[in-house]
Amino acid sequence: MLKLIQNEWMKLWHKKGTWAMVAMLILVILVPGAITKYYEVKSTDEGSWQEVEQQAIQTNKEMLASEELTEEDKAYFEEQIALSEYRLANDAPSQKESSLASFMSFTSNMLTLVTLFTVITAASIVSSEFSTGTIKMLLTRPMSRAKVLTSKLLTTFLFGLFLYAVNVVVSAIVGLLLFGIGTGVELEMVNGQFVEKAVWNDLAYHYLLSGGDFVMSTLFAFLVGSVFRSSSLAIGLTMFLSFTGGMIVMFLSRYDIVKYVWLTHSDLTQYERGGSMIADITMPFSLTVLAVYAILFLIISYTTFMKRDVTA
Amino acid sequence: MTEPIVQLQNLSKTIKGKQLIKQLNIDLYPGQITGFLGPNGAGKTTTIRMMTGLMHPTEGKVIIDGLSLQEHYEEAISKVGVIVENPEMYKFMSGYKNLLHFARMHKNVTKERIQEVVQQVGLENRIHEKVSTYSLGMRQRLGLAQALLHRPKFLILDEPTNGLDPAGIREFRMYLRKIASEEGVSVFVSSHLLSEIELMCDRVAVIQNGKLIDMRDIHNEGSSFYYVEAQPKEQVSAHFEQHDYNFVAENEGYVVEMKKEDVPALTTHLVQAGIQLFAVQPHQKTLEDQFLEMTGGGQIAEANSK
Repeated sequence: MLKLIQNEWMKLWHKKGTWAMVAMLILVILVPGAITKYYEVKSTDEGSWQEVEQQAIQTNKEMLASEELTEEDKAYFEEQIALSEYRLANDAPSQKESSLASFMSFTSNMLTLVTLFTVITAASIVSSEFSTGTIKMLLTRPMSRAKVLTSKLLTTFLFGLFLYAVNVVVSAIVGLLLFGIGTGVELEMVNGQFVEKAVWNDLAYHYLLSGGDFVMSTLFAFLVGSVFRSSSLAIGLTMFLSFTGGMIVMFLSRYDIVKYVWLTHSDLTQYERGGSMIADITMPFSLTVLAVYAILFLIISYTTFMKRDVTA
Repeated sequence: MTEPIVQLQNLSKTIKGKQLIKQLNIDLYPGQITGFLGPNGAGKTTTIRMMTGLMHPTEGKVIIDGLSLQEHYEEAISKVGVIVENPEMYKFMSGYKNLLHFARMHKNVTKERIQEVVQQVGLENRIHEKVSTYSLGMRQRLGLAQALLHRPKFLILDEPTNGLDPAGIREFRMYLRKIASEEGVSVFVSSHLLSEIELMCDRVAVIQNGKLIDMRDIHNEGSSFYYVEAQPKEQVSAHFEQHDYNFVAENEGYVVEMKKEDVPALTTHLVQAGIQLFAVQPHQKTLEDQFLEMTGGGQIAEANSK
C-alpha cells in the first residue's frame, strides 16, 4: 500500500499542474502581503495611539448625540466608547497596523483555494487514468482494485494536507518577515467585561472548521471523477454545488429535509460565530450528517470502481 | 502433454443482452506461442480483457496456474504479463520512472531486474527521457519491458508488433521464441498481421462471433502440396488424372496434392514425355488462406496463394 501511495505521489509531482497549484497558492499569500506592507509604509503617522483613541471617543460621542439612532446602533457606539476608554485606562493599544496574527487570519481565507486545488486533484486522479488508457496497465497488476482506489484517495488527502501546510507555513513566514508579531492587543467583550481575544485559538479553530468543506468537497469530486470518469464534470459539479450551496439550502430551508442535506452542514465555519444557517442544528448533529454522507460517497465510489468493466 | 497454464472454461460475456463471447474453452500450455485470430468484432479484445481481469465474465472461469482469476485475483494475475492494445504509459514521466512505477506494484522486482529488461528491449539509450518523446515503436518496446518485469509465466499480447520496424519485429519474434522455449513461458498473441502470426506461433485459435471455430497447429500440414508449371497443360492434367492426384489449376500451372516421394517420378515422366517443365515447388497454404477459409471468406481461399 505504501508503494502504491509512493507511485501516486510520484505521478502527481510529475505533472506540471501540480507545481502550478503550489506556486499559485504561494503567490496569493505573497502578493497581498507585499501590497499591504507597501501601503502601510507609505501611510503617514497620525500621532500617538492615545490621541487616536481620544479622537475615536469624540467621534463616537458625536454619533450618539444624533437622534435617529436605533437601540442597536446606540449599544454599538456605547461599546466602542467603552472600549476606547478601557484601552486608555489599561494602556492596551489597539492593533492598528497589520501583524502576524491579522495577516494569518486574512490568508486563512485562501483555504478556499486549497480546497479548490484538492478538488481538482481528486477529480482527475482516477479519471485521468481512464482518459489516457493507463488504467489498463494499472489494473493488470497483483493489487486489488480496492487497494488501487484507496491509494488514490489517500494520496489526494495527503496532497490536500500538504497544501494546507503550505498555506499555514508560508503565511506564517511571510507574516513574520513583513509585519512581525505585532504590539497591539485585540479585545472583545464577554459578559460586559473586556478580555483579551484568544487570536491564535480562534485561528486554529478556523483552520479546523474549514476542514469540513475541504473533506466533503474532495470526497464528492472523487466520487464524480471515479464514477463518471470525467474530471471536468467532477470539478464543475463540485464547484457548482459550493457556489450555489447556500442558495439551495435557502430554498430548502422551508422544509424539514434541509437538515439532512450535506450542503447545510459542510461549511462548519458557520459555528465559529455561534450561529448556524438553519435553526436547531448543532455541531455534533452536523458532524454526524457529514460522516454519513462521506461514507455514502465512498461506498458509491468503491463499488462502481470495483465492478466496472474497463474498456478504456 | 503437460498441464495447461491457462484455462478458459465456458467463458461467456453478455453486455446489454448481447452475448459477445459464447462458452469459450481454450487451454494454453507452457512454452507454446498461441496466436489468437478473428475478424473485427469477433470478441478478441473482450476475451483478452476477461483474461486480464479488466472485465468480469458473465459466466465461466479463467484459471491461471491452477488459480481462478476471479477468486484469487492478486495471486493469479501476478503470473501474467500484459500488453493490451497500445501500451499506454505515463507520458509525463521518463521510461525508467514508468518501469519503476510498475515494478513497485509487483513483489521482488529489483532495480537490477529493471536494468536487465531495459537492455533486453534495447532502450538503454533513451530510458531516462520522457515517454512523450518516444516513437510508437519505442513505446511498444517499453510496453514489452513492463510486461516482462516480473518474469511472468504467461504473457498476453494484443497487437504487439504494431509500430515496430522490421528489425524490431524480427527481434521481438526471436525474443518471444526464446522466452517460450527457455523459460517455458506461455504466450498468447492476438494480431491482425497473419504473416506475423504464422512466423511466430506454434498454433492458432480462431474465433468468430464470440465462438471458438478452430484451434490448429501451424507447422504440421497433414498433406503436402506442390505447384507444377509445365507446357502443354493438357498433357500434364492428363498425367495427374491418370495417377488419381487431386489438383486445381492455378496461374500458369497446377497445385497438386502428392507425396514427396512421388516428385522425382513425376519430373522424370514429364521430362521423358517431352513436356516443357518450368517449375515444381512445394506449395503451402498460407495462414491467410486458412484464415479466410475458416472465417467464411471461402470463395477466395484457393485462388489466393504465394
